[in-house]
Amino acid sequence: MTDATSSAPAAAPSPAQRASLLTESPRMKKRNAAETRFKMYGVLAISIGLAFLVFLAYSILRNGIPAFTQTVVNVEFTLTQEQFDDAESRMLKTAVYTDIFVENVTAQFQEQGLDVEFDGDTIERLLGKVGGDLRSFYRENPDQIGQAVALQLPAASRVERYLQGRLTRDMVVDGRFLEVADLDVVDVMVDAGIIGSAFDWNFITGTDTGVDNPGGAGIGASVIGSFFMMLVVLLLSLPIGVAASIYLEEFAPKNKFTDLIEVNISNLAAVPSIVFGILGLAVFIQFAHLPQSAPLVGGLVLTLMTLPTIVISTRASLKSVPPSIRDAALGVGASKMQAVFHHVLPLAMPGILTGTIIGLAQALGETAPLLLIGMVGYVAREYPDGLTSGLLDPNSAMPAQIYTWAARSDEAFFEKAWGGIIILLIFLLTMNIIAIILRRRFERRW
Amino acid sequence: MEDMIHVDRAMSTQQDIKISARKVQVYYGDTHAIKDVDVDIDDKTVTAFIGPSGCGKSTFLRCINRMNDTIDVARVEGDILIDNEDIYDAKVDPVQLRAKVGMVFQKPNPFPKSIYDNVAYGPKIHGLARNKAELDEIVERSLRKAALWDEAKDRLEAPGTGLSGGQQQRLCIARAIATAPEVLLMDEPCSALDPIATAQVEDLIDELRQSFSVVIVTHSMQQAARVSQKTAFFHLGNLVEYDATDKIFTNPQDPRTESYISGRIG
Repeated sequence: MTDATSSAPAAAPSPAQRASLLTESPRMKKRNAAETRFKMYGVLAISIGLAFLVFLAYSILRNGIPAFTQTVVNVEFTLTQEQFDDAESRMLKTAVYTDIFVENVTAQFQEQGLDVEFDGDTIERLLGKVGGDLRSFYRENPDQIGQAVALQLPAASRVERYLQGRLTRDMVVDGRFLEVADLDVVDVMVDAGIIGSAFDWNFITGTDTGVDNPGGAGIGASVIGSFFMMLVVLLLSLPIGVAASIYLEEFAPKNKFTDLIEVNISNLAAVPSIVFGILGLAVFIQFAHLPQSAPLVGGLVLTLMTLPTIVISTRASLKSVPPSIRDAALGVGASKMQAVFHHVLPLAMPGILTGTIIGLAQALGETAPLLLIGMVGYVAREYPDGLTSGLLDPNSAMPAQIYTWAARSDEAFFEKAWGGIIILLIFLLTMNIIAIILRRRFERRW
Repeated sequence: MEDMIHVDRAMSTQQDIKISARKVQVYYGDTHAIKDVDVDIDDKTVTAFIGPSGCGKSTFLRCINRMNDTIDVARVEGDILIDNEDIYDAKVDPVQLRAKVGMVFQKPNPFPKSIYDNVAYGPKIHGLARNKAELDEIVERSLRKAALWDEAKDRLEAPGTGLSGGQQQRLCIARAIATAPEVLLMDEPCSALDPIATAQVEDLIDELRQSFSVVIVTHSMQQAARVSQKTAFFHLGNLVEYDATDKIFTNPQDPRTESYISGRIG
């Protein structure tokens, strides 16, 4: 045995060549180093992505959160029966209420040793139409007369920006909106500790305002506009998209023509959305004479845009159903249609729903096509009343509203735009979460 | 042994011919997969198709219930008659044919539904039951025939996919026989099963012979020898030899058959 090994040294590796398993060979070292490097690149890429995400989330929240709060002035106010009767008997009733309010607040300031002169016009510039609000409050709640009432009065957006330091005294030029002397009153109010902040429900439920009132602008009407658009998109693109995919995937003969259709569907998914916008303008508004800026038209345009996405995802999920299920159904004598509708479609449903929701989410955030059909720039001042009005009356949509606000020259609208982005993102996140839940719940069970 | 052969032969001559194929050709695109196959399959008999992989035995089996129709490039020529009716006649609806010719596939493929629904699906779509009671009866009878009733009767509402591999395959057999077919095609029904489950399915096939004409494709020559009365040997798309099983395995006429069963080809 020993003879045999010594006589054939060429066959067996010499002790020097025979590598120990405990030491790494140079080649192995290189391979391991390459792997470590690759992993590090991956970690680096993800870190950069995460850093951008954190930065994005931070800036959105920092700029957008102020849109949800509102600077308010807290005043304790008492109106006696005599004052009420007196005011109601005068010609300019609201002006009287304003004067009573001014007297009341001045008295409160003097109690605290603060001295400032101001009149009803100043109050109206700072807090809006206080007199009118007070009058309607007491006419509706006569039992509050003679009682001390804690009032929370929303301050004008300029006051808010002055307090945030974004508006300085030398920037005040237009006396119609604000005078420099008014800011002294604001300073006194701050000293008196009556300025606070409150959640601004009006931003969520309110409607858009003109360019002169950034504080009162709300996104509510355009949320409704988006809702009606999504309704149209869902009702049209889901049945059409699913039916088209089922036909193409399960029934259509495979030939040059269906190949062409297939290629074109994939291409349509990549067509820039503004192209769909101009198509919608030409077909729905100029040819079919549907009203401009209507959510119905917006929905139709977005349907065109969403259809390829839905068709592609539906076909993918139909394809992923194992052929053995089709064989099984055909094998017991089910017709093609029964096999598809009884067995294949239910199994493909989670994928179809996920694709549809993703498509809807995409459509919800789409702005470009809405530019061309007149939804961007439309000032949605009113809520639609009812279904027809919701579909046919001009309205805005969330992304269009954000665009409109961002394009306005008054800086106060910028925070509204950021706030609108937060609301839009909340809707998108909710839809994506629903998609994930659906996928998890109906995960393939075969 | 000699006696058995004698008995089998006597049986086969007495029996009716259920399926008769003449000059069957199958093309997959340009590939000529089945060449000139002539075969007569007896009623109430187990007929085994054996042969090496790719010899066309499964392809031919799928011709008998026109499952090849679902493959776009497949083309079938020649005549296949079941009870003297040409199943490739333009007037024949393959859906109706498949109710008469059931099929069990290689991999157990129960629907992702309950055991009950798996078996009841066929009778439901063919309208074999007028009410729930009749349907229940069909389900029970089919499951009993497939030797699955005792294991499944307490969990008919449990998903069919939750059964073991062997049980799933028996469920597929129950599903196939629930539509009361006359012919049962089995495409390597035991290839995905362990030996114990295989033995159960083989016993079952032997019992099914009482009611159906069973055609089984198998890779295993031992299985063919165990369950079938007649065996057909396919090689490269040709039907090489077709005779009583014992004869094929003890005294094959063709040298290719002999090479295959002795393990030299395939």
